[in-house]
Amino acid sequence: MTKALVKIFGMIAVTLVSVLLLLIPFSGAAIKFKYITSIYADAQGVPLKQPEGVACNDQSHLVVADTGNGRLLKYVLKDGTVETGTVEIKIAQLSYPIKAELNSKGDVYALDRRKRRILRFTPEGTFKDYVEPVGLTSPAEYVPRSFTIDREDKIYILDILSERVLTLSPEGRYLRHLKFPQEYGFFSDIAVDYKGTVFIVDSVKGIVHSAAKLSTGFSPITKSLKEYVRFPASLTSDNRGRMYLMDKNGGSMIILGQDGSFLGRQSSMGWKEGWLNYPAQICINDKGEIFVADTNNSRVQIFSVVE
Amino acid sequence: MKIQRMSGYTALFSLCLMGFFILAAPPAYSTDTFKLKPGAKGTRCIKCHENFKDVLKRDYVHPLLKKGECTGCHVPHTSSHKSLLIADKTKLCYNCHQDVLPEKRRSAHDAVVEGNCTICHPPHGSDNRYILTKSGKELCFDCHKDMSAELSKVRFRHRSLDKGKGCLNCHDPHASGKSNFLLERDTPSLCTKCHQIEKLTFRRTHKNYPVTDKNCISCHNPHGSNNRGIVFDVAHAAVTEGKCTECHEGSPSLRTKQKNTELCRKCHSRTVDAALDKNRVHWPLLDDVGCLNCHGPHATKEQKLLKGSVVNVCGECHADTVQLQEWSIDNKNNERLCEPVKKGECTNCHSPHASDNILLFPQESNGMGLCGRCHEWQTHSTHPIGEKIIDPRDKNLTVECLSCHKACGTGNNPAMLPFSSTYELCIQCHPERRR
Repeated sequence: MTKALVKIFGMIAVTLVSVLLLLIPFSGAAIKFKYITSIYADAQGVPLKQPEGVACNDQSHLVVADTGNGRLLKYVLKDGTVETGTVEIKIAQLSYPIKAELNSKGDVYALDRRKRRILRFTPEGTFKDYVEPVGLTSPAEYVPRSFTIDREDKIYILDILSERVLTLSPEGRYLRHLKFPQEYGFFSDIAVDYKGTVFIVDSVKGIVHSAAKLSTGFSPITKSLKEYVRFPASLTSDNRGRMYLMDKNGGSMIILGQDGSFLGRQSSMGWKEGWLNYPAQICINDKGEIFVADTNNSRVQIFSVVE
Repeated sequence: MKIQRMSGYTALFSLCLMGFFILAAPPAYSTDTFKLKPGAKGTRCIKCHENFKDVLKRDYVHPLLKKGECTGCHVPHTSSHKSLLIADKTKLCYNCHQDVLPEKRRSAHDAVVEGNCTICHPPHGSDNRYILTKSGKELCFDCHKDMSAELSKVRFRHRSLDKGKGCLNCHDPHASGKSNFLLERDTPSLCTKCHQIEKLTFRRTHKNYPVTDKNCISCHNPHGSNNRGIVFDVAHAAVTEGKCTECHEGSPSLRTKQKNTELCRKCHSRTVDAALDKNRVHWPLLDDVGCLNCHGPHATKEQKLLKGSVVNVCGECHADTVQLQEWSIDNKNNERLCEPVKKGECTNCHSPHASDNILLFPQESNGMGLCGRCHEWQTHSTHPIGEKIIDPRDKNLTVECLSCHKACGTGNNPAMLPFSSTYELCIQCHPERRR
């Protein structure tokens, strides 16, 4: 009798544990990346050299800031592989691109670290102009450490000189600015999610700050993440509001929930495919494809999200 | 059966009774619970411990000993602590002297926190005030030998070091609730205890600038220096020459004429322009603080007016890398730790202002150029290395020093390898050798 009871309770316990295990992937807590492929060169076989920027969109366009070669490369991808030949953008005005972005029209934007200016190109790769804030209130000086573009094509510039985030219209007209929070270490990157919330990452303190679309200032959404990351220097968000933070010195990515909760850590420092070595910009499109500028490995790696 | 139950009850009762007596017992032998004979608390102890007769003759004797209450600190019969103490040596003093370590404190003396009171205070008595082992600054210099050595070399010492309470003129020996470094209070109010800021000479020396609410130790070494006015040894030429208006608006405004790097560029245009013309300018150089992220504007202890040692300045932002460096130094298995890493000389391999190369390397890291400045790469000649050798892990990389070594240190790994052993490293490229 007792043995039978133990057996029944045991079976119930096993069933409960199995159900719980099945539920975990849907709770948002377990997110994993699956390595798909890597891009090592352009269509002519010229190898990438220490790329620091990647921009992507839902039309499977990928723009790589091939920093060491002083050029941008535009790829069209299908199922993770390059479908057609690459477009090379190499002009005198662009010498050291470190970040790339695409707007909804397919225009290409790039930040040149040497000249500390943002350049704008047509989807075909023709240089249009520099992004210069028009009607910027005092102080007029700014130094763009990073920038991003939202779904309405508004441009957000992380201005480390005047300690603020500038918001510009798609044409470059000054709209507003948000002052950096008090007592920060150093802000390295900026991202905007689908709701228009702006995020900035303090690499020194390991804290992510956010400002909702209509708010007037930043507030921290995480405590110091130094327990998980060594030097978070790049971030982006997906269409569900999750954030992906690149640990430059640690060679890994961490995933945060909308509220800043820690959801997981992927990859680690290394040379083989799937591993990262001083990664820089990360981009994720609505298909769940993740592109990482694996800078010191001189390649771009493509992953997909597995939930 | 009944007898067994009875004996059980008896045992339980006895235990309860013992517990009652233990709980009801006095906390120490200093009370009169034991109806001790006169002198049993201490005077009788001296009969055997004769050397205490001399201690009692000293100028300053611990009040308990003076009263003949050795049992204030010692148990007469047995104890779990050395010297028959009633509590652990590191906690005993706090039974009476709790106020020595305030709960809300900004800094505390390590010796006090660790309960090593006897480093400074012999427990029974001494000829020095506050029962100290030595008087004045000599006591402090017993441990703070670097400070003592430094002060023996400088031309000008802070006069208060040699007056009155010495170090204690500015520092609290135990803890400070008001300032760092055990300072009695923050500057400038600490300094203005003695320095009369309204005096003509003071105002004249400070060019009439309103420095009274400024941090005095941004220019002055509080202990001593080789410069008059104990200005830090490495001083900005504009400061030593009294040319404050080179950077500041005329007195009494302390506003600088320009912001950040632009201000420094006026005189240091060659350095600043050369940096701004590189592919990668160190980002802090371009922010609101600019050069002053790393350099002091007036005077500092370190060369090139750095705010601290190179590794400390870099570590302000790159604490994660400096931590690896520290772990690598502590790693006893790491005999072949790179010298600049050992010494914290980050600028040996990184250009602090700007560079055309990744990680602010002064030259391209591929090939052996960077490491070859100090290391003879031939010691690795058995392993293919160089620009023509493709890294089997990544076709865009060639085999170079950094393919196998992480140059800032790798904690507990040997030879600055990114893996825990040479075997783990080798099988990355040679999987067929996996055991």
